[in-house]
Amino acid sequence: MPVLTADSRRDYEIRHYPVLVYALVPLCALVLQAWLPRVLGRFAWFDLPMVIAVYFGLGRRNPIQGSLIGGALGLFEDALTHHAIGINGIAKTIAGYLAASVGIRVDVENFTVRVLVTFLLSLLGSGVYAFIYRFLLGMGAETNWLTELYKAIGNAAIAMVLFPMLDVTMIRD
Amino acid sequence: MEPFFVRYRNLLVLLALLVAQVVGLAMQVHRTRLGPAGVDSTDGRSVLLLRYWANSLVTPPERAIHSSKLGVSSVWQNYFDLRHVREQNENLQKTVDRLRLEQAALLEDARQGHRLQALLNFQQKYIFKTVVAQAIGSSGTDQSRVFYLDKGKDAGLDRDMAVITADGIVGKVRDVFPHSAQVLMISDQTSGAGVILESTRIRGILRGNVSGQPQMVDVLADQRIQPGEKILTAGGDEIFPRGLPVGTVEKVMRDPDRDSFIQILVKPSAHLDQLDEVLVITSMQPRFPPEQQQDMATSVQLKGAEAEAEAQQKKTSEGMAEKLPGLIDPNVAPDQQLLHDTSNPNPVAHPPQSLHPDRFTPGAAGTPSAHQSSEDVQSKPPPVRQKAPVDGIDHSGKLITSGKTSGSGKPSGSGATNKKTPGDTPARRNP
Repeated sequence: MPVLTADSRRDYEIRHYPVLVYALVPLCALVLQAWLPRVLGRFAWFDLPMVIAVYFGLGRRNPIQGSLIGGALGLFEDALTHHAIGINGIAKTIAGYLAASVGIRVDVENFTVRVLVTFLLSLLGSGVYAFIYRFLLGMGAETNWLTELYKAIGNAAIAMVLFPMLDVTMIRD
Repeated sequence: MEPFFVRYRNLLVLLALLVAQVVGLAMQVHRTRLGPAGVDSTDGRSVLLLRYWANSLVTPPERAIHSSKLGVSSVWQNYFDLRHVREQNENLQKTVDRLRLEQAALLEDARQGHRLQALLNFQQKYIFKTVVAQAIGSSGTDQSRVFYLDKGKDAGLDRDMAVITADGIVGKVRDVFPHSAQVLMISDQTSGAGVILESTRIRGILRGNVSGQPQMVDVLADQRIQPGEKILTAGGDEIFPRGLPVGTVEKVMRDPDRDSFIQILVKPSAHLDQLDEVLVITSMQPRFPPEQQQDMATSVQLKGAEAEAEAQQKKTSEGMAEKLPGLIDPNVAPDQQLLHDTSNPNPVAHPPQSLHPDRFTPGAAGTPSAHQSSEDVQSKPPPVRQKAPVDGIDHSGKLITSGKTSGSGKPSGSGATNKKTPGDTPARRNP
């Protein structure tokens, strides 16, 4: 009887997606993140690249891939701001890594777990961002934590809708 | 036992990624001498390239979304409208759908037309050279309040150009790409603009706060500052022209870090949350309308005629001055100057020469003393002169002074005046 070790279990549960999904979904997230705040104004309480980084981190269950996807999305997001490139990159690298690490240990098929992980990692991402910006770079800017909380709630709400939609694109054996 | 690098592969990759990004951050941030706030915001060449790539990737879809006018809000509304209509009548639904879409499109066109008309009116009245641009995207995060324009270097945009609307200032161009540009809004915490209160003339710096609302800082506490007062650009930052509307005072509060200073929350004149079309000031050289240019040309012409008349007058006076004699002529030898000319019209007066000089004649030997001469003058008739000077003109026709006599009856010639009385010398020798 074959023994299901941690690695084989992880390999068994790794999700695979078409290459187009890997290319288009992050790009759409970045474009919408850049465009929607123009429409919604100050009520744009979400961070789509973070949601996508968490989704792929949870789905792929590979911390290296989670870190790379999160880092790439963060760096791209930084390039659209006027801040130094790497602040969002570091925040989302950590978020992607943790999402993948969590994905190994918990049942990511559980809907509540995914939403909760998204919420918590969004808050963590905001905290890392603020830490780098204020303490690592020594900038004098302040952070509105209420907005960051709203953003984490918004991310969780989007995850509730988006994750099942993205699950449809998954390649099934 | 698993090797170290295999066992901790994930953690090592994470650390490598983090270290690489931290090093990248350290290479980008250049601190200036201004302290914590003094960070050089100029991007390096490689960073600018990264931003350009990201912008090139995001801008085309944004432009496509914008040009097709598929706004999320209108799609949302139309979706519900169509569902409602479909329930009432399936046949009418298509017509209503089409009409509503057309109406929405026309309405949007009309609104845009109104906005563009207002902007055009403002642009025509505005004296600086401007370019109309469309806001097409944003940074996507409220920690970086920037947005993107659909015009870039190809339209003449450059760094640090002011971005305004007809209502007030919006921000400044921070980065320029070939076909797009990044604008830093006045509501960002790292922005800065010199502003002045309209009535009290108090100056300060405008920058955004943590909530994304512009506020005026570096202002000394002053009770005259009241909510509602207008705020204008001061013009000292070399980005925004002087006198542009910025907003109004919304709230005045104490600066938590400095006792004697206050912070003024500003309600911006421009609708920073709903920006569509904006103007970018591409040249600070004044651009006047044709009527005004004509007036200025006329003024310059009139001024030219006046200057010409002045030059003519000056030339004439110089000519006259050349014709009139001067005291010293640089072309004549010093001994022949007019100052040494014997034909001077004001000569030193000399007594006329007597026809028959006698012992009373001045300068003759044996001239009597004063009391003797006065007795003789009384006993003898005065000598007859050949020609007495008349009206100060002698026989040679030269102007002379009349020969007056002193109170002692002696003529006031040089010979008489130089003669000393006998008693003078001893008195001076023996005081």
